[in-house]
This record gives sequence, structure tokens and C-alpha cells, in this order.
Amino acid sequence: MARILLNNVTKRYGKFKELAVDNFNMDIKDQEFLVFLGPSGCGKSTTLRMVAGLEDISEGEIYIGDTLVNDYPPKDRDISMVFQNYALYPNLTVYENIAFGLRIRKMPKHEIEAAVKRAADVLEIGNFLNRKPRELSGGQRQRVALGRAIVRSPQAFLMDEPLSNLDAKLRVQMRAEIIRLHRTIGVTTIYVTHDQIEAMTMGDRIVVMNKGVIQQVDTPEQIYHKPQNLFVAKFIGNQPMNFFEGTIEEINGYLTFSTQTFSIRLTDKQTKMFNQLRGVSYNIIMGIRPEYMSFEKEMFDVYPNAVLKGVLQFNEFIGSDHYYHLDSQGRESFTVRAHPRFSYREGEEVRVAIDMEKVLFFDSKTEKLLTI
Amino acid sequence: MKMIEVLRNFAQESKWKWSNFLLEIKRLDRTQYIILFFLTIASIFMLLPIVYIFNHAFKPLHELFLFPPTFIVQDPTFQNFIELLTLTSNTFVPVSRFIFNSVIVTVLATIAMVVTSALCAYALSKHPFPGSKLVFSLIMISLLFVPQVLQIPRYVVVESLGIMNTYWGHVLPLIAMPVGVFLMKQFIDQVPNEVLEAAKIDGASEFGMFFRIVMPIVTPAIATIAIISFQSAWGNTETSQLFMQDESMKTLPYYMMSLTANLANSVARQGAAAAGALIMFLPQFIMFLFFQRKVIATMAHSGIK
Ligand SMILES: Nc1ncnc2c1ncn2[C@@H]1O[C@H](COP(=O)(O)OP(=O)(O)OP(=O)(O)O)[C@@H](O)[C@H]1O
Ligand SMILES: [Mg+2]
Repeated sequence: MARILLNNVTKRYGKFKELAVDNFNMDIKDQEFLVFLGPSGCGKSTTLRMVAGLEDISEGEIYIGDTLVNDYPPKDRDISMVFQNYALYPNLTVYENIAFGLRIRKMPKHEIEAAVKRAADVLEIGNFLNRKPRELSGGQRQRVALGRAIVRSPQAFLMDEPLSNLDAKLRVQMRAEIIRLHRTIGVTTIYVTHDQIEAMTMGDRIVVMNKGVIQQVDTPEQIYHKPQNLFVAKFIGNQPMNFFEGTIEEINGYLTFSTQTFSIRLTDKQTKMFNQLRGVSYNIIMGIRPEYMSFEKEMFDVYPNAVLKGVLQFNEFIGSDHYYHLDSQGRESFTVRAHPRFSYREGEEVRVAIDMEKVLFFDSKTEKLLTI
Repeated sequence: MKMIEVLRNFAQESKWKWSNFLLEIKRLDRTQYIILFFLTIASIFMLLPIVYIFNHAFKPLHELFLFPPTFIVQDPTFQNFIELLTLTSNTFVPVSRFIFNSVIVTVLATIAMVVTSALCAYALSKHPFPGSKLVFSLIMISLLFVPQVLQIPRYVVVESLGIMNTYWGHVLPLIAMPVGVFLMKQFIDQVPNEVLEAAKIDGASEFGMFFRIVMPIVTPAIATIAIISFQSAWGNTETSQLFMQDESMKTLPYYMMSLTANLANSVARQGAAAAGALIMFLPQFIMFLFFQRKVIATMAHSGIK
């Protein structure tokens, strides 16, 4: 068990020295479950593979525990890795798959047997130790892969999208199982995924990446509620956040956010923030999640000056909720999450209140979250 | 596609069972019955020479010259084999020496060819280096050369290596085997890189990965290459002809060739030739029976995943 430290780690590929990972700095705490999240091709796997030693580091330093491992081969880094496609040895039985690393390390036979048995018990794969990988289901295979990872009691687990080959139901189940595993053995884990639900439910902290650059490192709550820039705001959230382009203006002595179709009054706190930021008439992008826009009467009472009108375009019903897609004067469109008891028809004009406490403002030039 | 599936099921069945075979047959539809019918006819036709070789070797002299020739031997005898042995017992080199040479050369060459092809393909497939694509293309291009074109350069090489009249002279010229490299590379390409990376993280050395992971996965390819290289080594006369002046270093196929060279119109030695043909044929036949399941698996590509 150990902390993992990445200092200015950079990776360039190929003849043209294309940047795959750009100046990556990260301090992963002992026993932490850290998730790399980002769109395809953003450099998650590359970073993970550099930690594993499967990929050379172009610049920077990687420490595992207190050891600088830049020049260590994978086997000497005391890590284990789980791959998306399981990567089991197809010619060996489940037992031999798990025992492989131990045999190479010349562990005495009875100790191997005990270790494999322990791992098999934890993962409940004791019943098919004598089978070949091809005789197992996807979920069972991934369990064997996990068994192979834990049996060596390494300092860290590296997992590269271990669940993305499984079907939805199994994924949920395995997700819980990996979390349980992490709780019981408490090994530092780096987990790569492009599935934000996985990231949110599993990570102690999430690293959101884009184009090889870290966008934000934070707890799931912070990532969701306080995305530090537009990219994170857009990337996180099953139903995308609503964005409105506009400016901050002073109207009747109050600071307001105005778009082409509506104006809403800022709260005192937000007014204070913009005053400190020296400014009115910024070009601003306002972000608000669908669940913080509402048809509820109480909301209109609390924020009477943060109301806009929209025409219902279509309605997504997902069981527990409705997602109403609205359109304001054909210029701005947005989505509102509502309780199923609200039922509007397409083409109807409705009023929506905004929960001003949850509104986020981004500078439209730097795309950064505005805060004080 | 269903045909392939049927074939594959045969290949994977550990024991041949007629009941299973009949079950599989029942699953076919009409066009497949027709195909099966013609394939059966064709395979019987292909089988005839084999039957003929077996019978011919046991025919007594008078049956050998029957006209029209008979397929099935009526009065089987070992006379021909005895003739083959006695024919040479009073010459300079006995036939047993040729057989001995052939066995040694074939075993050595087969092993060397399989190992070399596998190592070469592994490097080309899993450790690409600058220019490795070019190397692979060159290997493929070398398939196009007719062996005769290479005889003289080969002679020069063997001569200057000083391995004339040694077993090396038989084995070395055969080792480079483009077909083997090609086949092997196709198979190794299919081994996911992640499997090797997992092994690397588990602590396996390069040779550990090669022998404990890659080789067991590609056994069908090994079997196929083993058969092909066995055949080419066992039937090879070229090295005896070119590099072995010493009669005692020549191999059985060369001897067979000289035995039958001017046989067309003669009566003598017909029996010995028939027996020799069987001796030449038998190892290949056994070899094929031994590996055929694996080979069918290669063809039906039951493969790796
Ligand atoms: N071996 C390689 N040679 C050249 N470029 C590479 C190589 N491997 C990755 N890249 C590039 O590096 C970038 C990051 O790739 P990486 O595999 O780390 O992405 P990822 O975040 O894991 O994506 P995914 O979610 O699709 O797995 C990509 O632009 C990719 O094209
Ligand atoms: Mg990846």
C-alpha cells in the first residue's frame, strides 16, 4: 500500500511528438480510490500505462511509495493491472491464471495454494478454478482478472475500464463488488473509465481529463456541483447542464444576467462576487442543471425575479421523472426535470423558475468558473 | 458457415462418435447435403492413391505387372521389402543408412523450422521495430522465388560455411521458412497485447511469455507448420544432390529417386520401388493423423479467443 506521485508527467507519441498527456501532476493518497474520467482519447489509459510501466515516460517523474519508478520495469513496480478485455491467459485454468505471478516469483507451493484460495474466496470464484477462461461468462472472467490482481497483494491496483465489456446489470453488480473489495483490502487504486456514473459512485476523488490535460481533481460532489470550467460542466451529468449566453448588466440598481430573451436578478451573494470581480457587462455563460429549474410553486415564491418562459418542444419520460425540453423564443433551448405530476403538452407555453443558489457563471472567454 | 462449424465440432470433439456425426449431419440443409455429397466423392477419389500405395507395396511380382492393374492386393507378401533391403545390402551404402540419415535430418529440420518460424513471427508481431514491416514484406516476397533460382547461391553459402557432407548441410538450408513465418504471424497477431502485458506485470520474462503464453495459444499453428516442415524435410532431395558428395550422407528420398530414376521401362526393382514408396509415404501419413485435429482447427479457425 502506498501513495503514488506524478510530477509533471508528459507523454509524447510518434514521429510528430504529439502530446498525449500534458504535464500531469497528481498526488494519490495511500488507500485512495482515484478515478480518471474523460472522453475517448484524452490520455487516461496512457497515464495509467505510464504508472504501470507499460509505456515510457517522455518527461516527468512517477513515484510509487517512496521509490522513483521511472526506470523500473512493470514487474518491479509492485502493482497489478486489470484490463478491459480481461487479458486472461487463455491456455491456463483459472487457478493457474491466478497463480501465474506467484509461480514466477517462486513462492512455495503451499503458500501459492493458500493465496489463490483466499483470493478465490473473496471473489467467489472457488467453483471454477479448474475451468479455462473461455468457459466463463464475462463477469466471471473479470472476477478472475481481479483475483489475479489481488493475489500478489501489490502496492496499487491499476484498472483500465474493467467493466465496459459487461452488460449494464452486471456492471452495476461488479461496481459494488470492486468498491467492497477496495473497502476490505484498502489498496491504493487508480481506476480509468469514461462512464461518469462509475466515476461518481466509485471514486474518492475524480480526475477529469481532456486532451491530455487535467481539468479538475475533486470529490464527486464538488465535480458535480462546482465544475471548474465549461468542459467539466458539460461532461458531467447524465442530462446535460443548461447553458445560456448573456451579459451582466445593472438594471434598476440591481445586477442582472440578461440574455436575448430574458433577464434574471442575481442574488446578493452573486452581486457581491461580480462587484469584487470589478465588473458588469461581462460576457458570461450561465449554467444550471435541469433539476434546479422548476415548475414548483414554492420556487416561484423564493425566486420571483428568476423566471423565464419557454415553449415545450418534447418530453422525455424516464419513469421517476419527466425531462421537459423547452425553447425560449426559438433562440435558447433548455431542459427541466419535473415530477411526473406535472404534465404539459407539446407546444404549450410554461413558466420556469430557476434556483439561483445553484446557478454557475463561467467567463465565456476563459471558460472558467467565476468564484471568489 | 455451418459447414465450418460442423468441421470445427469434429475437430474439438475429443472422441469421434458416430452418433454425434449423424446428429451434425441432420442439421444440414439441402444445398449442404449436395456439397457434402460431392466432397465425399472427391475425397474418395483423393483416397485412391493412398489405398494404391498400401496395396502395391505388398503385391508379389506377378501381381505388380498385371494388366489391367488391380487395386487390392490378392496375395500379400513382404517380398518387396526384403528385396529393397537385400538390394542394397551388398552395395556400398545399405538402405538402413539412408533411412537413418533421413530420420535425423527430418527431426532436426522440423524442430528448427518450427522454432525459427515462431521466434521470427513473434518478434515481427509483438515487438515491431523500425523497418519490421519491410522485413516481413521481404520474407513474403521470398515466397515467390522458385527454389531452382536459389540453388547456386545456396551452394556457395553452404560451401563457404564448410558444412558440405554434414547434417548441417541438410538442415540449415531448410530452416528459413516464409510460409511458417506467415502462418505463425497470423496467429500471434491475434493474441491480444494485453495478455502479454498482464504477463509482463506478473513478472514473466520475454522467454517466459513466449513459451508459457504465446506458444500454448498457437498450438494449432505449430501443428500445421510441423506437418508442412516435416513434409518438406522428409521429401527433400535437393540437399543430398547438391551438398552431399559422400554417399553415406545422402537421404532416403534421394535414394528412392535414383532407384526409380530409370525404372519406367524396366522390370527389375519394381517391387523394391513399391516398398520404398510406402516407406516414404508412411511417416507423413502418421504425422498427419497425429496432428490432423489441430490442423483442421487451424483451417476452421477455431483459434484463440
Ligand atoms: N501507441 C500509440 N501511438 C501513438 N499514439 C497513441 C498511442 N496510444 C495512444 N495514442 C494517442 O494518445 C492519446 C491518448 O490515448 P489513450 O489511449 O490514453 O486515451 P484514453 O483516454 O484511454 O481513451 P479511451 O477512453 O478511448 O480508452 C490519443 O490521442 C491516442 O491517439
Ligand atoms: Mg483507454
